[in-house]
Amino acid sequence: MSEPDCIVFMVDDDPLVRDSVADLLDSAGFEVRTFASATEFVQSKRPDLSACLILDVELPGLNGLDLQAELANSGVEMPIIFLTGHGDIPMSVRAMKRGAVEFLTKPFRKQELLDAVQEALRRDSEGRLQRSETSELKKRLRTLTPREHQVLALVVTGLLNKQIAGELGTTEETIKVHRGRVMSKMGAGSLADLVRMAEKLKISAEPGILPK
Amino acid sequence: MPESAEPQNDFSLEASMPEGAAPLESIVCTEELHRRPWRPPDFEKENRALVALVTVLSDSASTIFQTLAETILDVTQCDSSGLSLLTPDGGKRFYWPAIAGMWAPHVGGGTPRNFGPCGDVLDRNCTMLFRHFERRYPYLMPVVPAAEECLLVPFYVDGKAVGTIWGIMHSDRRKFDSEDERIMSSLGQFASVAYRTVASIDNLKVQIAAREKAEAELRERATGLEAKVRRLIDANLMGMFTWNIEGRIVEANETFLKIVQWGREDVASADMRWTDLTPEEWRARDELAVADLKATGTMQPYQKEYFRKDGSRVPVLVGAALFEEGGNDGVAFALDLSEQKRAEETLQRVEQQARSIVDSALDAVVAMDADGIIADWNRQSEEIFGWTRSEALGRRMSETIIPMRYRLSHQSGLRQFFKTGQGAVLNRRIEITALRRDGTEFPVELTITPLKTGDAWTFSAFVRDISERKRAEEKLRESELNLRNTQAELAHMARVMTMGELTASIAHEVNQPLSAIIASGDSCSAWLSNDPPNLDKARAAASRMIQAATQASEIVQRLRALFKKTTSMTASVDMNAVIEETISLIHHETERNKIFLRTELHPGVPSVSGDRVQLQQVILNLAMNGIESIAGLDHEPKRLMIRSTLSNTGELLVSVEDTGLGIEVEHADRLFAPFFTTKPQGIGMGLPICRSIIEAHGGRLWAAKNEPRGAVFHFALPVAAPSE
Repeated sequence: MSEPDCIVFMVDDDPLVRDSVADLLDSAGFEVRTFASATEFVQSKRPDLSACLILDVELPGLNGLDLQAELANSGVEMPIIFLTGHGDIPMSVRAMKRGAVEFLTKPFRKQELLDAVQEALRRDSEGRLQRSETSELKKRLRTLTPREHQVLALVVTGLLNKQIAGELGTTEETIKVHRGRVMSKMGAGSLADLVRMAEKLKISAEPGILPK
Repeated sequence: MPESAEPQNDFSLEASMPEGAAPLESIVCTEELHRRPWRPPDFEKENRALVALVTVLSDSASTIFQTLAETILDVTQCDSSGLSLLTPDGGKRFYWPAIAGMWAPHVGGGTPRNFGPCGDVLDRNCTMLFRHFERRYPYLMPVVPAAEECLLVPFYVDGKAVGTIWGIMHSDRRKFDSEDERIMSSLGQFASVAYRTVASIDNLKVQIAAREKAEAELRERATGLEAKVRRLIDANLMGMFTWNIEGRIVEANETFLKIVQWGREDVASADMRWTDLTPEEWRARDELAVADLKATGTMQPYQKEYFRKDGSRVPVLVGAALFEEGGNDGVAFALDLSEQKRAEETLQRVEQQARSIVDSALDAVVAMDADGIIADWNRQSEEIFGWTRSEALGRRMSETIIPMRYRLSHQSGLRQFFKTGQGAVLNRRIEITALRRDGTEFPVELTITPLKTGDAWTFSAFVRDISERKRAEEKLRESELNLRNTQAELAHMARVMTMGELTASIAHEVNQPLSAIIASGDSCSAWLSNDPPNLDKARAAASRMIQAATQASEIVQRLRALFKKTTSMTASVDMNAVIEETISLIHHETERNKIFLRTELHPGVPSVSGDRVQLQQVILNLAMNGIESIAGLDHEPKRLMIRSTLSNTGELLVSVEDTGLGIEVEHADRLFAPFFTTKPQGIGMGLPICRSIIEAHGGRLWAAKNEPRGAVFHFALPVAAPSE
């Protein structure tokens, strides 16, 4: 059974389908909110809960795939389950590539939908967790001095202190001090820890792409 | 006394008397004359009177009756005297030509034959004495003073009673006696002589007057006739000439000279002879006419010919009369008949032509009289009915060419016509069955025209054997049916292909309600398995299922119509409804292709008569063409618009506009040609089939450029009549 603190959004222009699917989810214990069009959904104020979106492909005006793209562009990372009356392969491939959880062809079986919803909510919770870890690391990253930032980027590539000192034109001793401060500021217990953090923060050795 | 005449009363005297009149015996007292004292005869006086009378008779006979009356008055010493004469009209009345004494003012009066004493006297044929005869004869009451006594004596001419003489005493100052009777009798004889004399004098006068009158009339007639003939000749109303029996034309008027083209100088020089004017073959007829003239003075007009001066002939009608019977001179008239002859010839020619036209007509021409008898029968009638003209004429029409089962209605129709002047089959083209001589029946086209000539009706019928035409029509109908079937099949094929292009939309359309049904079914059973079951929610889910299932079945029905292979069915079609239905089929196509679909449907467009499925196919086809034309493009706007309007000419106009590629100029004239297509999957039958469908509905389908871009397809359909 799902968590009580999650919600399922649904956009479909056909009221019968919309009401039926919503009722089905309701009977399965999900909290559901429905919308008749993409625009209606975009403009809505949504609670900050673990959520997923059931989206009809054939919508008037902005269609399902368009909405998916627009949400991605505006940084809304909500797992999407597509419904379609006549899914064709190119369409479903496109949707899945863009991260859709499932592409269901109407009429679908109950379990297919419930599984998809479960999966979507699971992914969202996970995503949300990841997103909160990353933001903590980013906060820590912002406490580093520019020199420490440079040292971090070079350390996670596997360079030795001596090599780093050579790279930055300073002494091994100085690098050693910087490295100790980076470890402590980032809260990393080991080099492996630090490397994982750098991965999450997408830090690489190229100087131009370091986070500001 | 002359011999007595037979009594002349035609009817009983008594019967003619008014009721209550005194009987004859009560007023007659003749026998008293001999009982009365009588005076001695005065012969001298009597002689004097007779001499005077005879003198008057020879000198001035016209006054003899008056002198006689005065003589009676003088010799009998009575108060009034006179004569009564029977009228010349067979003696119906007496009139009084002469009266002397107190009754003198009554001269000229009289009584009917049997309503006075004169009649009694003639009946009894003797002298009679009356006393107060007005008691019996009320006719005489107004004649005053009244007669105390009246003595009457009849007189005769050649044995026939002609009248009476009488004397009247108005008072009893004196009574008639036997002496008076004697004198009156002798005066009666004189009256007879006088009457005869007067009558002969009158007769002579009448004879003289009659002769004079006849002479005057003859004179009058002679001068009148001459003048009339003169006027007639000079009036030049017709050709006239005077002639003599030897052959000379004495005088001729202008008109006659014009007819024969001779000059006036020819008449003057006596060159012109009517015998010479007459061609050889007419001489015998002329001799007959001359014999007629000699016998009766006139001759019956007859037609002949005259030579003109130039030797050509002119047809004339001539008539002649002698001026006097047995004479040698006469007058003749001549009428130029050239015009009439020409007209007759023309008429004959026209009649002949008409006959030959009727005979050579491709239609049978049959005429029937009011009794139903065949009066005309041309050559073609012989051909198609199998009766020759001579066989057919006189036969009963109905028994000759009308099949038995129609004869009664033919007769009642005829009766109806004579009663009302109206006939259901008259003056219009009708198709009926006719009968051949061999008993076979065949279809004919027929027009019957009633014609009134004088008082008689004739019915002319033009009859055409249409067996061939009927067969051809039947064939045409068959081939039309085949064509329609082929067209329907083709249309069906195109429809199925169009539907093929719509599979995605159709799947969506059907899957939509199906998914609602399944989802609601699932939730319904979930609500029921709750503990406790949530019945309200389960009921709501079930009702959604029903709603969705209904929707699905409607969709399937609509699709079935489009897929079904039907022969064309004509019904009243609401085009707006058809458009709306088509929209529901294609709106997923437009959504998928991000095409903005709009309709502008005129709310008041009337229904058209046609095949609903085929008309829907046309709209579907045009809309799908539009969608395909827009789909691949990036530009905006992507718009498809369907309109319905009523044109100025009252047609229903449907337009499908798109903002797609438009029609390339080089394709414009091939758009509707079969197998022309610009689509990779198309077979090029869509538009030709659309056009054939619209044209089969009596409409037009055409394409035009849409502004600023794209194409627009229009079709116009005639609006169904309001009664349908």
